[in-house]
Amino acid sequence: MSTHHHAEPDFLFKYVFSTDHKMISKQFLITGFIMGFIGLAMSTLFRLQLGWPGEHFEIFDLLLGSWAEDGVLAPDKYLSLVTMHGTIMVFFLLTAGLSGTFSNLLIPLQIGARDMASGFLNMLSYWFFFLSSVIMLISLGVEGGAASAGWTIYPPLSALPQAIPGSGMGMTLWLVAMAIFIVSSLLGSLNYIVTILNLRTKGMTMTRLPLTIWAFLITAVIGVVSFPVLLSAALLLIFDRSFGTSFYLSDIYIGGQALEHSGGSPILFEHLFWFLGHPEVYIVLLPALGITSEIVSTMSRKPIFGYRAMIGSILAIAFLSTIVWGHHMFVTGMNPFLGAVFTFTTLLIAIPSAVKVFNYLTTLWKGNIIFSPAMLFSIGLVSTFISGGLTGLILGDATLDINVHDTYFVIGHFHIVMGLSAIYGMFAGVYHWFPKMFGRMMNNKLGNAHFWFTIISAYGVFFPMHFLGYAGVPRRYYTNSEFPMFDNLIEINELISMFAILAFVGQLFFLFNFVYSALRGPKAPQNPWRGNTLEWTAPVEHIHGNWYGEIPEVFRWSYDYSKPGAAEDFIPQTTPLAEGEEEH
Amino acid sequence: MATLTAENIDFQAELKQKTAKPLLWVALVSIVMFFTGLTSAVIVVKPDGRWVSFDVPSLFLYSTVIIVVSSLMFHLGLQAIKKDNQKLATAFFFTTFALAIAFSVSQYYAWGDLYADGIVFSGSNLAGSFFYVITGLHLAHVVGGVISLIVVLIKSMRGKYSSSNYLGVQVSITYWHFLGGLWIYLYLFLRFIA
Repeated sequence: MSTHHHAEPDFLFKYVFSTDHKMISKQFLITGFIMGFIGLAMSTLFRLQLGWPGEHFEIFDLLLGSWAEDGVLAPDKYLSLVTMHGTIMVFFLLTAGLSGTFSNLLIPLQIGARDMASGFLNMLSYWFFFLSSVIMLISLGVEGGAASAGWTIYPPLSALPQAIPGSGMGMTLWLVAMAIFIVSSLLGSLNYIVTILNLRTKGMTMTRLPLTIWAFLITAVIGVVSFPVLLSAALLLIFDRSFGTSFYLSDIYIGGQALEHSGGSPILFEHLFWFLGHPEVYIVLLPALGITSEIVSTMSRKPIFGYRAMIGSILAIAFLSTIVWGHHMFVTGMNPFLGAVFTFTTLLIAIPSAVKVFNYLTTLWKGNIIFSPAMLFSIGLVSTFISGGLTGLILGDATLDINVHDTYFVIGHFHIVMGLSAIYGMFAGVYHWFPKMFGRMMNNKLGNAHFWFTIISAYGVFFPMHFLGYAGVPRRYYTNSEFPMFDNLIEINELISMFAILAFVGQLFFLFNFVYSALRGPKAPQNPWRGNTLEWTAPVEHIHGNWYGEIPEVFRWSYDYSKPGAAEDFIPQTTPLAEGEEEH
Repeated sequence: MATLTAENIDFQAELKQKTAKPLLWVALVSIVMFFTGLTSAVIVVKPDGRWVSFDVPSLFLYSTVIIVVSSLMFHLGLQAIKKDNQKLATAFFFTTFALAIAFSVSQYYAWGDLYADGIVFSGSNLAGSFFYVITGLHLAHVVGGVISLIVVLIKSMRGKYSSSNYLGVQVSITYWHFLGGLWIYLYLFLRFIA
């Protein structure tokens, strides 16, 4: 970095109101991780209640204050914690934190662009996200507590301010925060799509793009198509709450008195919500799958198996994700024929998903595998994608789903397939591209410890939940101690909670490694993993415009690893084809 | 950190040329999906049986004519710019702007007619609530269009556009045509389906 003449304005525009994609990427990462850490802590706290219901815990006194009189978590605040945990993890960590970080970092660097299509919109995208995060956190402190209707905020709990304590100010702020969040997400997506389509460097054809970029592109497309529908759903909900309309309300009695609202339908909200809600799963998952494709290939020193099939499966998943939302609504009185249609479209997703898994495994097969923390987490993702995906077949089938609907089976399923897969992808990405982001290396030993702690404890948390679900334990209940039939399951809940505490402790390895390495880690070489993609041709120090001089030209795809006849086991995309050499 | 140089500024201008229109197009897709969500909502709840239909005030038809003519005027303005006739262009832009205001006013009075017929926003008549929400959110987007029109008008009066430089007009006109098309769809939808 060169010298600075005006330290203060520089600081403001370099670190705060930056329009540089690399800085915005770090802003998303750190904000996302802070939110994620809060979400994780919340889950650990409510797991204490679930493992040892009604027990007195000093830590509740310490952290929750009036939410836990005498150290016992209040039932309505338990609902707030569950709701906020879901909201924060799904949207703030795994949507904005994941896409915001890696789309911003990698799109310009891997396609060979100076920056995003619009740095200004990009900056706005981050600041809307920041504002939304702040409002969401403030909602924890308002009267009545934060929103408590679950992260899916179904009406009428969310539509009637008088319904439960969390339906008041907390719910209003939730909606405001989410509306701002959606604007942020749309601004980000606009930029990602246009940058990828219009600003690729010379020679970077669509079929030479790294799979990360394909994943980010399709993620952004799904976001542009589905988030506006959630915005329309949220607006109608705001009108119902504050302006006396009845879009989602009908035939509701409170204390024996019928409300004036009639004519609306709470099922309407479910349709609109899940039209976003299901694609949202892939908004969270596809970037993680893209990151994994890149790391699995680089760290196996082998080209990715089935490059075009990978692109095809991303496209197929994206398309199918928009026509399966009904599988969240099998028990809403849906016409059984319609249920069968949604079952069919849902099960179709197994095909492109299986293609991806097959390709990961065949890429790993007989590779010179380097077990870096990034690679471990990528393989971890493949594992969770399989184990969580298989239970998806059960939930996707209407006749089976009805038996386990709204039980812990569902919690186990989506935490493994969506939560764990996405966060493993995010961790993998951070370990792999940390040298690019901070110019320093992370510690491998701590990274390995983090991985083993995480995968063992996370499976320990979510695997037993399937048994709870089969036994019929409903989700979202404060305690099951009132139901004698669940009495013999309490030990499973204790076990899950112990693993949850362990999982929390495991993340401290990461936190320490991240902060310490960013400040004191060993300096990174320019291409630490001997990768082919363009970001490793850019200088280690961050410069505005990414490359000194001309932007590099691209002559080949990004997966020329261990190519027969080549001197090294990798050939960067900037290396022209040799005489007589065939492209992939 | 490299500083902003003349080369960088050229780069910024080129970047704008390359990306302004695609950015708008993707944004239009998201607006389409927003209104798709709202109109699908109507289709989902209407068969529930408690839908109270009503006649759409004829003022909305006038609004439709106004916004179509305004699009035409905007188009003629762009043609004038392409022929470097800045005075004529400014006149057309001003006409477009006046018609945009007329559209907004017409919508406002049409709501007044609805209200006089006893169709109100709140309460239990979903047909009425949806009508206000959909037309209201369209008008909210029109406000954005009017702001961009004002920018175009001011720049045109200052002679900033020419046959070699009219990207801003193109972006604004694309958005304005889109709003016109969107309104025609919404009008027909509300008229015949709702």
